[in-house]
Amino acid sequence: MASEPQGLPFLCWQQQIEEGKSLGFDPEHRGRDSLFIVRRHGKLFAWRNACPHKGYEGAPMAWRKDAYLNQAGTHVMCSGHGALFDPETGVGLPGPCSGRVLEAITITVTPDGQVLLGADQTKEI
Amino acid sequence: MNIVGLDSLVFGVDDVAACCQYLTDYGLLPKNVCAEGGEFEALDGTSIVIRHRDDASLPAPLATGSMIRKTIHGCADQATVDAIAEELGRDRTVLRLADGAIESVDDMGFAIGFQVSVRKPLDLPAEAINAPGAAPGRPANVIGADESIEIIPRSLSHIVYFVPDSKKAEKFYIERLGFRVADRFTNLGPFLRPAGTLDHHTIFLVNTPPEMQGVEHFTFHLGGPTELLLAGKRFQDKGYESFWGPGRHIYGSNWFWYFNSPMGVHVEFDADMDLHDDSWTPREIDASADASQIFNFTLVNKWMPGGDPH
Ligand code: FES
Ligand SMILES: [Fe+2]
Repeated sequence: MASEPQGLPFLCWQQQIEEGKSLGFDPEHRGRDSLFIVRRHGKLFAWRNACPHKGYEGAPMAWRKDAYLNQAGTHVMCSGHGALFDPETGVGLPGPCSGRVLEAITITVTPDGQVLLGADQTKEI
Repeated sequence: MNIVGLDSLVFGVDDVAACCQYLTDYGLLPKNVCAEGGEFEALDGTSIVIRHRDDASLPAPLATGSMIRKTIHGCADQATVDAIAEELGRDRTVLRLADGAIESVDDMGFAIGFQVSVRKPLDLPAEAINAPGAAPGRPANVIGADESIEIIPRSLSHIVYFVPDSKKAEKFYIERLGFRVADRFTNLGPFLRPAGTLDHHTIFLVNTPPEMQGVEHFTFHLGGPTELLLAGKRFQDKGYESFWGPGRHIYGSNWFWYFNSPMGVHVEFDADMDLHDDSWTPREIDASADASQIFNFTLVNKWMPGGDPH
């Protein structure tokens, strides 16, 4: 049976994430953000806060709460060793995470602008 | 070669303001801070230098995008600097800078500098403790747990490089610059100690694929484990992201606490490192969680067991 999108955990209002900015979330209340959302070219992209750097898999990526991007807001930057990632595809640029990919997190944006964690099952057949 | 330790690390960064704020909050003393960067000093004058990555005065960056631009080693005297210039001049370009310092590159392509050390002698007590059987570390009525203490890093301790060929890098530092191996992680690389200090290491080399070349971390020595724990707690309370620790390493024995940073390197707080002289026989082991630390904790919020009984 399909669940209501409102049954999904609420993360934030979509306007809270400005263009070229990121926000981290800890929906499981683990004391550390497990995912972050970035807005790039108007769209939201959600990624697990887990660097794919070989040997460091799972390392936290921000250097300060919500600081997941380079200064220009054009790339995700892991502040462990400076790896850059395309914020839309999650693909690592040349550097410590060349060719490695961030783990995507599914989010749902409701018509009234709520960003929810997980897939909107009501839209599926 | 009488190299006494690291004097300075120079970064060419993406976000100058963020790095300046970060290093100030880490506890270093900000000097000459402006939109172009600044210098951030420990008590003995050793420092981190922040500039923008497009600053034309910096040595060329590595191809990997690492923000490290130069590692400056302090030497006991100008004769040491001149001897290094002559040694390195045999097979590479050595720039002589106006102040008598020199600049070149190591065998991995990291820019390196040598100068008469800026290190000022410090006359400060270490963290003092009381223990049965020992004379009091603190006299009567001197308290040990003072949350208000000022904590300023004392001295730039070490840098850890990711290198594409740790054997070749090791050979360079040993044969050309007179470093000694203190201990070795057989699957990563050696801890290296220059001739002019007893500190366990000022450089640690980690073998990695070439696209990872850069810096794992750097750190400054603090006055003791309580300072380290309190400094790290304050740093985390300011919103900075803990990466690993607090804990205590096995090789070097230093207490550690690592944080992420906008320089794109880990930044460590360290305290109480082992000293070694040339009579020391290096140990070696494969690096692993067990080989790397005697314990590792995670800071949690303060709480009151039993709550308030009143
Ligand atoms: S841990 Fe993310 S770049 Fe190394
Ligand atoms: Fe270290």
